[in-house]
Amino acid sequence: MKERPPTVYIVDDDDAVRNSLRLLLKSVGLTAVALPTAQEFLSSYDAQQPGCLILDVRMPGMSGLELQQQLNMRGAVIPVIFITGHGDIPMAVEAMQHGAFDFLQKPFRDQDLIDRIQRALAKDRTNRAELTERSHVRERFESLTPREREVLALVTRGKPNKVMAAELGVSQRTVEIHRARVMEKMHASSLAQLVRMMMELDEKADTGG
Amino acid sequence: MTETKSSEELQALLDAAVDGIIVIDARGTILSFNRSAEQLFGFKASEAVGRNVGILMADTDRADHDAKIERYLATGVPHVIGRGRAVTAQRKDRTVFPAFLSVGAVSGPEPRFVGFIRDMTAARKADEEAHRLQDRLMHVSRLATVGEMASGIAHELNQPLAAIATYAHACDRLLALPDPEIEEVQAALKQIADQAVRAGDIIRRLRNLARSDETVRSPMDINTVIEELGELIQSDARAHGVQYRPELSSGLPQVTVDRAQIQQVVLNLVRNALEALALAQLEASEVVVSTCLNREGEVEIRICDNGPGVDGSIAHRMFDPFCSTKPTGTGLGLPISRTIVNTHGGTLDYEPNVPSGACFLVKLPATRMDQQ
Repeated sequence: MKERPPTVYIVDDDDAVRNSLRLLLKSVGLTAVALPTAQEFLSSYDAQQPGCLILDVRMPGMSGLELQQQLNMRGAVIPVIFITGHGDIPMAVEAMQHGAFDFLQKPFRDQDLIDRIQRALAKDRTNRAELTERSHVRERFESLTPREREVLALVTRGKPNKVMAAELGVSQRTVEIHRARVMEKMHASSLAQLVRMMMELDEKADTGG
Repeated sequence: MTETKSSEELQALLDAAVDGIIVIDARGTILSFNRSAEQLFGFKASEAVGRNVGILMADTDRADHDAKIERYLATGVPHVIGRGRAVTAQRKDRTVFPAFLSVGAVSGPEPRFVGFIRDMTAARKADEEAHRLQDRLMHVSRLATVGEMASGIAHELNQPLAAIATYAHACDRLLALPDPEIEEVQAALKQIADQAVRAGDIIRRLRNLARSDETVRSPMDINTVIEELGELIQSDARAHGVQYRPELSSGLPQVTVDRAQIQQVVLNLVRNALEALALAQLEASEVVVSTCLNREGEVEIRICDNGPGVDGSIAHRMFDPFCSTKPTGTGLGLPISRTIVNTHGGTLDYEPNVPSGACFLVKLPATRMDQQ
């Protein structure tokens, strides 16, 4: 699957600030979408679109912090860079606690913003790659037969083949065949890698649940 | 009672009076001059009796006095008699003092007039002092309002500054491209200039508001007075996450007001609304400032919000001094606002907004055409 080019979203109710940011991003060759309200962003936001979000903290209607919470509730992974008109420390702390990627005070140096955007886009790529990898692992896991899943559970708990054969009431040779099938289907080259995949799946089950 | 005794008693009565009492004949010759009059004017009764009452008047009042007596004698229509008026009196040493004069006429073949004179120096001083203190209080409270708004204004100033910086950086980068779009750069440069003007405007409005501590009233358009506050209110509203919406009717008659004082009232009421809205944490909070002409021909300013409104338990005393529900409030904002509006001959009242919220209503008398 070919990766889509990233979009930098700008949400700021101040026309001049918003338009100047869009022009700056254009000047460095970034695709930018600028919107005046949090509501407009939410209604047009496509979770599949890679990118990052530059968000003004204070806006009439839905504030930047409220938009961040909405995105968190939807499980969106887009990195958020907050910008604020004054050094509002408690607000910055709150934003960072809720997973903001970074915080910038207006007026800022262009390079500072561009650097942060680049880092946010890199972070978004990593996030998305991890998500993709995890969903692949999930698909592979779901392709296993019930017996293979039993074997996988015992393998990742560190049981030797002999013990597994006794517990499952089959021959050691059969266990070896199942085990090889599991490693192949899960695309695991070692026991350690298989264990890590299962931990990630569990983690996702925990955080997603 | 003998005639002599009666006249002695009368003199005792006159001398005991607190006001200066002077009797004159139709030609203005002083016939009687009591003890208080001696103290007020510095003339002995013996010096004053027989002379023209004009010696007790400032130059400006003197010319007029003889004419008034003549007119009364000719027409019988009183101008001062029975009503009294403020005059400028003159002492023996030719210094003057403000006085209140009331006159009674004794009719008969030889008409006489009795004048009662009260020294208004102390009362006028107290009045002036009270006015001075009131003006001072209004100015101090205006400065306090400006101070409270400083944080919102700093925020608002940062917007044009951020835009200017960002546009400038963008221009720099656009011009460094191999084939720059000059029109795009020109548009950005124009924006930079506009934003610099916007920043300057914010500072100018703030300074205007803080500076004037003199009361200067002149006829003006109320919409202009409110529009001048636009940037300040907008910045404050933004800082509180509130939408500000002016709804100004056109074609209103002018009002004769002290610009800074009326702006202070509007700001005060808007700030109250913003603080209430910020506490209420609504989905879409807004403050509307509207103007219109009512049926009585008065100009109305309404400051309305969609917050929780004023609690019924304090609605009846919210215009009393020191009645505040805010932890940092002085409790003087509303009483001072009402005083300001009252000194303009207007009223300031509260009514609940529909369907919810608070609405403060300022009514100001329209300037009559002949006053302009």
